[in-house]
Amino acid sequence: MGRLSFSDTRHLVARTALGQEWNGVKALEGKSRGEAVQILLKPAPLKTPPLPALTPWAKVNRMSQQSGLGRKRARKMMKVEGERLKRWWMKHLLYTDTPINEHMTLFWANHFTSSLEKVEQPRLMYLQNQLLRKNAIGNYRILLHAIAKDPAMLVYLDGNENVKGSPNENFARELLELFTLGRGHYTEADIKAAAVAFTGWGTDRNRGSYVFDNEKHDSKRVTFMGRTGTFSGDQIIDIILEKPRVAEHIAEKFWKEFVSDSHPDPRIIRNWGAVFRKSNYNIKTLLTEVLNSESFWSDKHKGTLTKSPIDLLVGTLRSLPFPKLPAGELVHISQLLGQDLFDPPTVKGWSGGKTWIDTQTLLVRTSLMNKLTRHSSASAKVQSYLPKSSGEEVVKWLLPIAPVLPLPTTPGKRRMVRALMLDPVYQLK
Amino acid sequence: MNRREFLQYSSLIPLAGMMPNAFAAGQTPGQIVLLVELKGGNDGLNTLIPFRDDNYHRARPKLRVKNGIPLKDNMAMNPYLKQLLPLWKEGNMAWVQGVGYNKPSRSHFHSIDVWETASTRNDEQRGWLSRVLPAQQNSLNGIVLGDNNLGPMGGENGSAVAMEDPKTFLRQTKYLNKKQFKTSNPSLAHMLNVQNQINTAAQELGRVYRGRRSLVRFPTSRFGRKLELITQMIVNGMNTPVYKVSLEGFDTHAAQVDQHNNLMNHLGGGLRAFSDAMKKAGMWDKVLIMTYSEFGRRVAENNSAGTDHGAAAPQLIMGGRVRGGMYGKQPSLAADKLYDGDLVHNVDFRELYATLAQRWWRRPNPWGNQHRPLPFV
Repeated sequence: MGRLSFSDTRHLVARTALGQEWNGVKALEGKSRGEAVQILLKPAPLKTPPLPALTPWAKVNRMSQQSGLGRKRARKMMKVEGERLKRWWMKHLLYTDTPINEHMTLFWANHFTSSLEKVEQPRLMYLQNQLLRKNAIGNYRILLHAIAKDPAMLVYLDGNENVKGSPNENFARELLELFTLGRGHYTEADIKAAAVAFTGWGTDRNRGSYVFDNEKHDSKRVTFMGRTGTFSGDQIIDIILEKPRVAEHIAEKFWKEFVSDSHPDPRIIRNWGAVFRKSNYNIKTLLTEVLNSESFWSDKHKGTLTKSPIDLLVGTLRSLPFPKLPAGELVHISQLLGQDLFDPPTVKGWSGGKTWIDTQTLLVRTSLMNKLTRHSSASAKVQSYLPKSSGEEVVKWLLPIAPVLPLPTTPGKRRMVRALMLDPVYQLK
Repeated sequence: MNRREFLQYSSLIPLAGMMPNAFAAGQTPGQIVLLVELKGGNDGLNTLIPFRDDNYHRARPKLRVKNGIPLKDNMAMNPYLKQLLPLWKEGNMAWVQGVGYNKPSRSHFHSIDVWETASTRNDEQRGWLSRVLPAQQNSLNGIVLGDNNLGPMGGENGSAVAMEDPKTFLRQTKYLNKKQFKTSNPSLAHMLNVQNQINTAAQELGRVYRGRRSLVRFPTSRFGRKLELITQMIVNGMNTPVYKVSLEGFDTHAAQVDQHNNLMNHLGGGLRAFSDAMKKAGMWDKVLIMTYSEFGRRVAENNSAGTDHGAAAPQLIMGGRVRGGMYGKQPSLAADKLYDGDLVHNVDFRELYATLAQRWWRRPNPWGNQHRPLPFV
C-alpha cells in the first residue's frame, strides 16, 4: 500500500472532519493509510466553550406552574435560550480543534435524535449534547445505556409517560427500530415487552436528572426476543446488544456517512459488524476499520457524497480565510439550508445524502457561495491568506473530483477560488 | 433577516450558457389541483355550520353564526362565503365533513406536518404529493406560491418549487448555474436535475409573466393576487399539475367573529374569481380545488370570544368535474361524543388524498391498504 497523495489526504480529512483545512491535509501527505487514520483518531482533550446561560429546569417549572402568564413567559425564555444554545454549538463547530469528534457528535445527534421543539428545555438538550460529545468516538454500548437514561431523551420519546398500567411504547419502538436493530428485526410484541421493562424510568423535574420510580415500574413477566422473565430496562438493552444485527445496522450508517449513498455489499457490512461487535462496540475500532477499507478509498466513491449544510457552511469557513459570519447568522443560514441544529425534522433525523439538495436549498447554497466570494473590501484581504500553492493543487484541495464547469482563464487566486466554490462539484465531498 | 432578503443580497454571477429545454411549453396538463391551506387551524364549525343542532348554539353563545346559508339538511354555509353559492347550485361544490385523523395533535407545527406528509408518526420527510405523482426529470410537478415551504411537495422526488412571488424568484434564480454538464455521478445528476427544474420554472414564469392576463377581476388582497398569478400560469399553459397557496390568520384564539368572517370573505371572493376565470378560459373541467388546515377548533368557545386548537373539521372541494354535495358525516357535538372537547373525525384525511390519486389523476393510491377514495370526483 503506497503513500498518500495530497488528493488522498484531502479525501480522508474532508469526509471525517469539518471541511479540509490546508495544514491538516498537508500534514498527512506521504503517510500510509493506517498511519494517517491513526493520527486523525488520536484522542485529544475535548474543550467546549463555556456553557451558555441556561435556566435550570426547576426554575422554569416554578415559572410555568405559577400562572398562564408565567407559562407564556417560560416558553418565550426557552425559545430565546434555545437560540442561544444553537449559536453555542455553531460556534463550537466553527472553532473546535477536535473537528472529527464534533463530526461524530453530529452523527450521533442524528442517530439518537431529540429536538428542542419537543423537549423545550435547552439545558437538557445541552446535557444530551455533552453526553454525545464525550462518547462520540467512545463506546456505543455505554452510550446506548446512557442515552436511555438521558433526561432529554426521556422527554423526547415520552419515557416519562411510560408507567405501570399505562405503557407508552414510543421509546421502546425507536430503541428497536432506529437506535439498534432496524426495521424487520423485531416484533410488535417485543416492543410491548420492552416498554414494560422501561416503566418507571423518568426525569426528576426539579433536578433535571434521571430517576427510577419503583411505584411506577411494572415488574410483570414478559417475553422479549424469545426470553421470558422480569427484565430491567438495562437488561433489555443488553439482550438487544447480543444480536449481531445491531452492529451491522450501525455499520450501514457508517457506510452512508463515510463511504457512499449506494447500497453497501452485505459482505462488507457483515465484516464491519463483526469487527465492531468483537471490540465490544468500540466506535474507534469501527471507524478505523471503515477508514482503512478499500471501499472508503475507492475512486468509485470519491466525490459522491453531498455535503451537509454544516459541511458546506462550517467546512468552508474553517478551510478558507473568509471573514467569519456572526453565529446567529450562521444558525439562520443552516436552517435555510435544511439543518437546524438541535431540531431535526423527524425522529429519524435528517435523511441527508442527495435529499440535502432540493429546489429551495440549492438556491440558498448558490447564494451562500456567491455571498462569500463576491468582491468586497473585507474579501480583498482573503487573497493574502490563501495557501501559497499551484493552481492545480488548489483545485485538488477544494474539489473532490474534477470541476464540471470551465475554470477562469484570467489568472488570480481569488477568482480561481470563487470559480471552484461556484462549481456544482464543490457541493460534494 | 429572512430567506428572501438573504438571497437578495447575493451578488450576480455571469449569466452564460443555455437554458434547459426539456420542457414543452404551452402544454396544460388535464388534471390540475389547486391546494388552499387555511393556515392556523380553520374553525370548521363556523365554516360549515350545524345550525339546527342545539349543542352548537349552547357551545357558542358569542360566536355562533345565526345567518348561515342553508345548503342541505342541517348544514349551512358561513354567509361570508356567499360568493360560492352559485357553485353549490351548479353542483360543483363538495363538502367533506369531519375530516381528521386518530390521536390528533393540537400543535400547529406537528399537525400540519401530519397533513403534509400523510404520516402521524413523525417518520416521513416526503410530502404526500411526492408519493402520488411521478418524479420529474427537468420539469415540475408543482408550484407553491407565497411561501418558501414545499410542504406537501417536499422530498427528493417532489419536483416542485416554492416562492414568495415570481418576481423575487426570478431575481433569485439569476445566480444559479445555467450551464449543462454531463455526469455519471448520481449526486451530481440529482443536483443537475434540481438546477434544471428551477431554471425551467424561471424560464416558464418569465414567459407566463409576459403572457395574457385573465379579464376576470380578482380581489386585491394578497390571497386574490396569488390566485390571479396562478390563473395566469394556468391560462398561459404552464405544464404544472399542482399549485398551492395559503390563506393566513385562522388561529383565532380571541375576538374571532370579525377575523373569521373576514377570512371567509377572502376565501369566497378569491375562489369565486378563480372559478370564473377558469370557466372563461374553458379550464373549469380541468381543475380541482381542495382546502386543508392543520386542525379544526374546540367546540366550546373560550373566554376571549375565540376558540382554541381542536381536531376534525370539514374541507371544501370544487371544480367542473366535482360531484357537489355532502360527503362524510358531521361529527356529533354531544358532550359524550367529543374527545377532550373536540370533534371526532369520521373521514381520515388520507381518504381525500386517495381520491385525488386514484380518481383524479388515475394514479396508484399509496394508502390503498387503509384508506379508500371518496366519490366526490
